[in-house]
Amino acid sequence: MINDAAVLTEKLDRIYKIRGPRRKDDPRELVALDGVNLEIKRGELFGLLGPNGAGKTTLIKILSTLLLPTRGRVVVDGFDVVKDFGEIRRRISMVSGGETSGYGLLTVEENLWMFARFYGLDSAVALRRINDLLHLLGIGDRKRTKISDLSTGLRQKMNFVRGFICDPGVIFLDEPTLGLDVTAARDVRAFVKNWMLEHPERTILLTTHYMAEADELCDRLAIIDNGKVLACDTPHNLKRRLQREAVFKLKVGPIGPKPCKEEMLESVPGVRQVSIVEHSSGTELSLILEREEVLSGVLTHLGRRGSKLISLEKREPTLEDVFIDLVGRGLNVDTSRRGKETP
Amino acid sequence: MKTVGRIMDLPLVRQSDGLRTFITASWLGWQIESNWADPLLFAIYSIARPLAGVMILVVMYSVVTGGAGPEPVFAYIYLGNALYILVGQVITGVSWAVISDREHYRTLRQLYTTPMNGYFYLMGRGVSKLIIAGISVLIVVGIGKIFFHLPLNFAAINWPLFFASTALGIISLAALGLILGSMTMMMARHFWSLGDAVAGGLYLFSGAIFPLDVLPAALRPIGFIFPVTYWLEAARRALLGPQAALFPTFARFSNASLVGILIVFGLVLIVFSSFFYRWSLHRAKEKGLIDMETAY
Amino acid sequence: MNDTGIYKAKGFQLFWRTAWARAYPRIVGTFRERSWLFFETLLPVLGTAAYVFVYRAINAPPDYTGFVVVGGAMIAFWLNILWNMASQLYWDKDMGNLELYIISPGPVMAILMGMAIGGLVMSGTRALIILTVSTFLFGVTYQTGSLPLLGAVFLVTMAALYGMGMMFASLFLVSGREAWHISNLLQEPVYLVSGFYFPVKAIGFWGAAAASLIPLTLGLDAIRQLLFTGDPTLGFLPVGMELGILAVLAVIFINGARLALARLEEIGRREGRLIERRR
Repeated sequence: MINDAAVLTEKLDRIYKIRGPRRKDDPRELVALDGVNLEIKRGELFGLLGPNGAGKTTLIKILSTLLLPTRGRVVVDGFDVVKDFGEIRRRISMVSGGETSGYGLLTVEENLWMFARFYGLDSAVALRRINDLLHLLGIGDRKRTKISDLSTGLRQKMNFVRGFICDPGVIFLDEPTLGLDVTAARDVRAFVKNWMLEHPERTILLTTHYMAEADELCDRLAIIDNGKVLACDTPHNLKRRLQREAVFKLKVGPIGPKPCKEEMLESVPGVRQVSIVEHSSGTELSLILEREEVLSGVLTHLGRRGSKLISLEKREPTLEDVFIDLVGRGLNVDTSRRGKETP
Repeated sequence: MKTVGRIMDLPLVRQSDGLRTFITASWLGWQIESNWADPLLFAIYSIARPLAGVMILVVMYSVVTGGAGPEPVFAYIYLGNALYILVGQVITGVSWAVISDREHYRTLRQLYTTPMNGYFYLMGRGVSKLIIAGISVLIVVGIGKIFFHLPLNFAAINWPLFFASTALGIISLAALGLILGSMTMMMARHFWSLGDAVAGGLYLFSGAIFPLDVLPAALRPIGFIFPVTYWLEAARRALLGPQAALFPTFARFSNASLVGILIVFGLVLIVFSSFFYRWSLHRAKEKGLIDMETAY
Repeated sequence: MNDTGIYKAKGFQLFWRTAWARAYPRIVGTFRERSWLFFETLLPVLGTAAYVFVYRAINAPPDYTGFVVVGGAMIAFWLNILWNMASQLYWDKDMGNLELYIISPGPVMAILMGMAIGGLVMSGTRALIILTVSTFLFGVTYQTGSLPLLGAVFLVTMAALYGMGMMFASLFLVSGREAWHISNLLQEPVYLVSGFYFPVKAIGFWGAAAASLIPLTLGLDAIRQLLFTGDPTLGFLPVGMELGILAVLAVIFINGARLALARLEEIGRREGRLIERRR
């Protein structure tokens, strides 16, 4: 034991070598994590929020002992991921979104029993826990179904049972609601919340790019982009950062070619951040302004471009606004190809 | 990709969905199956595997004959085994394409939601296997000529018979591969594919490595219902000339009748495979097997 | 009891729980998905028959039919090693199972052992069916030697063979499609050098000696010597010596697998190859 935090990273870097299509091509380097410092306390439900390619999954792979850091120190449940990975594996578990693990010819119960045995559980204990957890997730009647016959939602619920069956001290949930419908995602979130209530000493690290999910579940959040942690605090405190600013949502008519839209609006004095989403019916603008009065300048500017105002809403800052403020763009922008590459 | 793009721009290709699918699938198969820039892969697939197969027979022959000089039966066995490489590769190539697209690349479901012609797609996926197998056959026959004194006289080879029978044989094999690929759509993955099973069966019954007369009388007729048997006989006659006639199984068939039989087989199998493919696809969709994943 | 409140086995107990858990899908798969019966017994019988008829075409002595039948049955084990042991981790990586194996406390060596046990049940069933059917079809008669010795040779051969399979599997832990190619490379060429269809001494002393690195070479030779005692010139080496070499190979391969696994897991973690999926 070298630290009491559930997860601790210090100056963590991870660089991938990307091979070219031909063997003789020199590999390129892709910086996936760049000086990440994080401390997650025991009993926390901690969120990592970031777009695709931000480095969330890489961080989870390092914490779950699948990947070594290139530089820096990483400690999970008091043990170093490089030296003491065996001890860490006894204490952790992981569930990923869109997971297709298991053997299609086995039933749900058989698959789960197999994984439980990998954690050293007694058969009787394993079967009892499988039964209890399947019922908790509302799929108790699917125990004898072959997993090749499960729908995406049911399969992900089974994956959750697999993740929690060994009663881990720290569990990593990597985009766990990815691809789930509203009901299944709600069931899964409810399960996570209840589990934390019943096991207050356990720790969950959740990665997601769903803002509402992060806001609803997490005690604290880190916003990560291009491998760097940009902010780390409670959702409430993160939103408070924007309380002095004015946050508006506008729907307007066409405002000209896309490449210059954001720059055009950001050139208006007092505009801090602009995020633009195009719809068939018009353009939706999320604006963070230094003060309310700046809005008239924005509207004048839009008017000069021939764009008409369709609707206007002033609202409380959300995590999305925080994200836009920190990152400079919305979450629906894929940055997976935007890592800092060096030749 | 550029090459495919260029081919696709030809007016003929633009006119035919089937041909376009065939060319794209051939290109895809080539990308997956072959990498001639990699000497290791070339050595494995075109030299080591086929050569090992034929060397087993060479050693078996020399163990029993005590290393006596090659008799006509040696040429029969050696050449039959070399040509059979094409049979195995083409037949298994198509059924393996179904398995790998369904369970490894997981593209089968996407493929069947596009307007492409699935029959030509599977046919195209077998092309790369055919080319690789063709190279193997040349290497194995070349080694046979140089090291094992295979009685091949290039000036005396009946090339028209060889090319005609081989082309017709390949058409029948492709159709047979399609039938097996269609059946594979309705089956789980095992480490043997259906193609392996049929290629293994034909190895026994088509007179590939021993004259059909060696088989028990009750089993001999099985050999006569497969086009491979006629193709191997015609190809052997074309390559070996009078030596091939020492084995009496096909003595009553003229070269022309062998080619005629291959034409009939080709036509019947192409038509049947086309209908069978459609029926199998329908059944696979009905049973929800298009995106099946097997593992245990 | 550990700090999370549920008893979780450690050490040897965890090893065996993991191994049996991994063997389970294989054993269940063997009996639940029976379409293998068609392929994996009929096909090898057909293949074996083809070589039997080749021997008949060249007027070989009747014992050679028996050699082919025994070799044909043992092929089931070699194919199992190549396609269900060595390259299995490639499929497991593809399905997302490998990363769950790695992060679980169950040793990966135990996972490999489980695959081996399950594989042995699978291929043992196949081999037995192939042997029985072919023996009946071709009227093979055996003149057996010591049955306990035969049993010992078989068990030690399997230990060495599956030890080798485990070592291959650990090598393939960090490989992608290369695993596929290597398995292909080792299929027919090993049929040749290990003497599946003829007594291995036919390829000469040094050839057979080199091929003895593959446990089936000596295992098959010893089994043939014990099943066909009528031909004393058949064997490559005396059975006792072959058994001793096989025992040494078993120790080397199982330990080699352990060492390779530790080393390659480290490389895999460093280079990110445990998590990449190349298609």
